[in-house]
Amino acid sequence: MNAAAIRAQGLGKRYGTTWALRDCVLDIPAGSVTALVGPNGAGKTTLLKLAVGLTRPSAGSIEVLGSSPRDDERALMHRIGFVAQDHPLHLRFAVDEMLALGRHLNPTWNDELARERLARLRIPLDRKVGKLSGGQQAQVALTLALGKQPELLLLDEPVASLDPLARREFLNTVMEAVSESAVTVVLSSHIVADLERVCDHLVILSESRPLLVGSIDDVVASHRLLTGPCTDSPGVARVHDVIRASHTKRQTTLLVRANGHVYDAKWQVHEVDLEEIVLAYLGYGVDVHEREAVAS
Amino acid sequence: MIWLGWRQQRTETVITAALLGFVAAFLVPTGIEMAHAYAHDGLANCLGLNTGPACGDAVSAFELRFSKFTGLVGWFNLVPGLFGVVLAAPYVLELEHGTHRLAWTQSITRFQWVRAKLALAITSTLVAAAALIALYTWWRVPFVHLDGRMDNGAFDAQGTVVLGYALFALGLALAVGAVWRRGIPAVLVSFVGYFVARIFVDTWLRQRFIAPKQLTFSSGRGDPPALWHAWIISEGPSNAQGGPAVFPRGGCVAHAQHGFRATKACMASLGGHVHALFEPASRFWALQGIETALFAGVGVTLIAFAGWWTLRSE
Repeated sequence: MNAAAIRAQGLGKRYGTTWALRDCVLDIPAGSVTALVGPNGAGKTTLLKLAVGLTRPSAGSIEVLGSSPRDDERALMHRIGFVAQDHPLHLRFAVDEMLALGRHLNPTWNDELARERLARLRIPLDRKVGKLSGGQQAQVALTLALGKQPELLLLDEPVASLDPLARREFLNTVMEAVSESAVTVVLSSHIVADLERVCDHLVILSESRPLLVGSIDDVVASHRLLTGPCTDSPGVARVHDVIRASHTKRQTTLLVRANGHVYDAKWQVHEVDLEEIVLAYLGYGVDVHEREAVAS
Repeated sequence: MIWLGWRQQRTETVITAALLGFVAAFLVPTGIEMAHAYAHDGLANCLGLNTGPACGDAVSAFELRFSKFTGLVGWFNLVPGLFGVVLAAPYVLELEHGTHRLAWTQSITRFQWVRAKLALAITSTLVAAAALIALYTWWRVPFVHLDGRMDNGAFDAQGTVVLGYALFALGLALAVGAVWRRGIPAVLVSFVGYFVARIFVDTWLRQRFIAPKQLTFSSGRGDPPALWHAWIISEGPSNAQGGPAVFPRGGCVAHAQHGFRATKACMASLGGHVHALFEPASRFWALQGIETALFAGVGVTLIAFAGWWTLRSE
């Protein structure tokens, strides 16, 4: 986990007058499984499209596996597997024709691996892609991306349209691939629940900017929920980053990103799980700043 | 990429082949019938300017018998346009469905993809158009012997212009589709555009490529050799100088009171002459070349634009 699989510096993408992504600085380490989390429209898809060279940055730069996706297309593309949001496939192709597509368009294609994976999933090769279930289509798209034996696998909302069972099976396939080939994975999602099981790194995007980048262990370890007297939250805010604050008449609850050890007799300290942290960043981030402004 | 291109174009290839088959199903039997009648009636001896009344009757009979076919064949002008827009469909549909991004995220470059897709569309269109030209040229041989091939009905389906028409339709559909990204509407709009462009060139522009020749001749003795197999753009009564024939009020009857000479002079002034505006048969290839270059040039430009736009817009 030394080199960065994806490195963005001041990366931005503008469509017309709106920035879909801006001021994006992040390193996604090689070998990690990174969750890209954020509400719809936060810039997740844009970031992944920039990484795979489907769109060109309006500002800054992005480096993928040490190359620029737009300028070193030829050298880079066979090293990246990509599954787009709605996993577009040729619906009138039979499944084995999709495999033929992979074989014809990828010099590093491993047909055996792809067939074996589909056989394990009991997806019939002679069936038309359009006749498969949504979960099976997603698996075919994933198989196509994995068949080229990529070093980096980018998945854009791969499970958003799937039912819970298909979602689980899909993520299982991803995890198998990770264990088999040590591929770096970046997957975007707005469903946090599944990600903790699969991912070890986290990028939270909101309103076109990354709010938090880091390993999930560090993120969970550094965030704490504090409950205590209503009057004392400015004191906490001087030391720690308050992500979310909620006040009742009797007590205040703060979700903080701790700078160092949290110990204060006035406050009860609780651990928080990943989902709460993500929701705090996404749901109430703005709210906190307003409250703080009033309080100080 | 070649495999993928063919696989994606399968339906369109079948449609194109079916169109060609439909055309052939009409042209082959009627063509055999015409060739047979042409040989049977000995029309080969009736070519030339002064062939006598028996020939005139035989030619008239032949043309009367088969004129219903030539009328129908006019519809085949639509076929190169259909080839073009149908074979543009795989490219446009791929953009519509977003599956081009699937190809672009395999190990080929976006430029390679665009180049392969467009090259396949161009090649298929040209092959289909060439087959159409071959069929039609063979079919029309008897009529070309009798009437030449300068008339719109023959000119539009022979030589090289058909290649230009098909490329133009292809380019138009690709360009509209690349921008619009809706397959069916792009195909329909482009086909209408093709039709309008063809009518404009046929009825207005073509006769302006090279300034037509003019000729005034006495109407009594049949057409002069210069008009042999020529494309007659306009032809009408004139005075001996080629100026418009003047029709005095009341016709020449009014001149009778001034005596017979006056009447005769009046009649002479009315015509007895014909003024023709025409493109001689010798200009066939010059006109074909200009028109082919025009349509193919615009077509290729539109195709290049479609590719450029696709690469630029993402």
